[in-house]
Amino acid sequence: MTDLDIDTLRTLARVAGLDLAEDELERLLPLVRFARRAAAELDELGLDESEPAVHFRML
Amino acid sequence: VSDLVWMSMTELARRVAAKEVSPVEVARAHLDRIEAVDGRLRAFLTVTDEAAMTQARAAEARVMAGGTLGPLHGVPVALKDLYATKGVKTTGGSRILADWVPDADATVVARLADAGAVCLGKLNMHEFAYGPEGLNPHYGAPWNPWDARTHRICGGSSSGSGAAVAMGLCAGALGSDTGGSIRIPASLCGITGIKPTYGRVSRAGVLPLSWSLDHVGPMCRTAADCALMLGAIAGYDPRDPSTSVLPVPEYGAALTGDITGVKVGVLRPFFLESTGSESRHAVEQALAVLAGLGASIQEARLDSARFAAGASTAVLAPEAYAYHEAWLRTRRAEYGADVRERLSLGAFLSAADYLRGQRARLRIKAEVDAALARLDVLVCATTPIAATPLGESEVSVDGETVPVRQGLIRFTRVFNLAGHPAASVPCGFTPAGLPVGLQIVGRPFDEATVLRVADAYQRATGWGARRPPLAGVGAPAA
Repeated sequence: MTDLDIDTLRTLARVAGLDLAEDELERLLPLVRFARRAAAELDELGLDESEPAVHFRML
Repeated sequence: VSDLVWMSMTELARRVAAKEVSPVEVARAHLDRIEAVDGRLRAFLTVTDEAAMTQARAAEARVMAGGTLGPLHGVPVALKDLYATKGVKTTGGSRILADWVPDADATVVARLADAGAVCLGKLNMHEFAYGPEGLNPHYGAPWNPWDARTHRICGGSSSGSGAAVAMGLCAGALGSDTGGSIRIPASLCGITGIKPTYGRVSRAGVLPLSWSLDHVGPMCRTAADCALMLGAIAGYDPRDPSTSVLPVPEYGAALTGDITGVKVGVLRPFFLESTGSESRHAVEQALAVLAGLGASIQEARLDSARFAAGASTAVLAPEAYAYHEAWLRTRRAEYGADVRERLSLGAFLSAADYLRGQRARLRIKAEVDAALARLDVLVCATTPIAATPLGESEVSVDGETVPVRQGLIRFTRVFNLAGHPAASVPCGFTPAGLPVGLQIVGRPFDEATVLRVADAYQRATGWGARRPPLAGVGAPAA
């Protein structure tokens, strides 16, 4: 997985409609990188056969 | 200080029903206590003194008229300020909702009223429940009652609930728990709290942080009081489709004091092995007490716990962002800096990341279920560290630097992902006099066994009877 850089983060923020100052982007970058990496590592659990724990209940 | 403020909910309810104490007298004693100490404690955001006295007088009239009494008749409670209260400001600890006055009660608020409880007001919290320290830049962070000299965190996000119950400002409180927000402040404030099974208690009318991880539960001074309060609020609610139709047992009946033969699994890898030695010592002593009571102590492990941080963030951050998205665009400056940053994180995780988290949590749940197939409960420290001074972001634990925020939620959030019931009970103190909590985890919808073990332990030890250093004084020193 490629790490996000600050320019990509700025673009994503703009697309999301978030007006983030440069210092906010800089503080967020390591958090976003960590969260994305940690999410990717969940594949180590072998999730191929697992459905997500979200349910649409008809009754 | 009136003895009434230290009386358990169970005892207050009994004495009110027996006409030994008046609900008016009980409410007055607690309101006087709030007036005396909360200026600096900052546990309450709103004190509904007039409404409380009106409720108390009505409760007294009902007692005197010989009417049917609910299980909490005349017992004073308070609510974390994310429960909608009809006609009473509900801020979520935020500036954004500083003036929001709901036009209906949350289901659990209505159920407490139906049970006869007298509501004293709304409690401080980490802004929008997004932080385990219990800080609040808008209203001030509550003072941990266990250190009169240093302003320490109460733990969060239900920090006001922890401080208020520990200081005798209310007999019990409602907290909410998305990653540990009932159990962490219970541990750091030396009280008892239980996060019930997901679906056991309605979330209708509760400001959400993360719909699929949020749990509602009681925070009290004893497990018996938690049983009483949980019984009053639990059960199916058509306003919350995630609630279960399973019947609510009589939790009090489970509190026999007998845990002979109960199989207790000690979580060492990841949990006890990364607990600071002072807290670990208290937990080891608690295990000896449980063994002395006849419990069978066995080893247990949850290897998937190391994935809890990734899974929790992958689920929580997008759900929280989804709820706050519009405000983050239009009222961004009104958030405190820490919560604004955490909420923004959710904008940068993908749908695939979110679903990866939701898939992982079923694997984590399966491992907890498997452990509890051979054991009745799992135990570990609630937190690896005790209450830290305000503003400290890192703490040294046995020579290792631990980030406070990540440390606080390390042992709790795995059970939000799994959804199992989990309680924290006081199990001792560090040499500095700060409380340590023991986390007890049970099978889905088996809160009764969790509370039975917690209650038996409390009967044998009496840690919960110790009063914090601030309890005898008017207010913390400036």
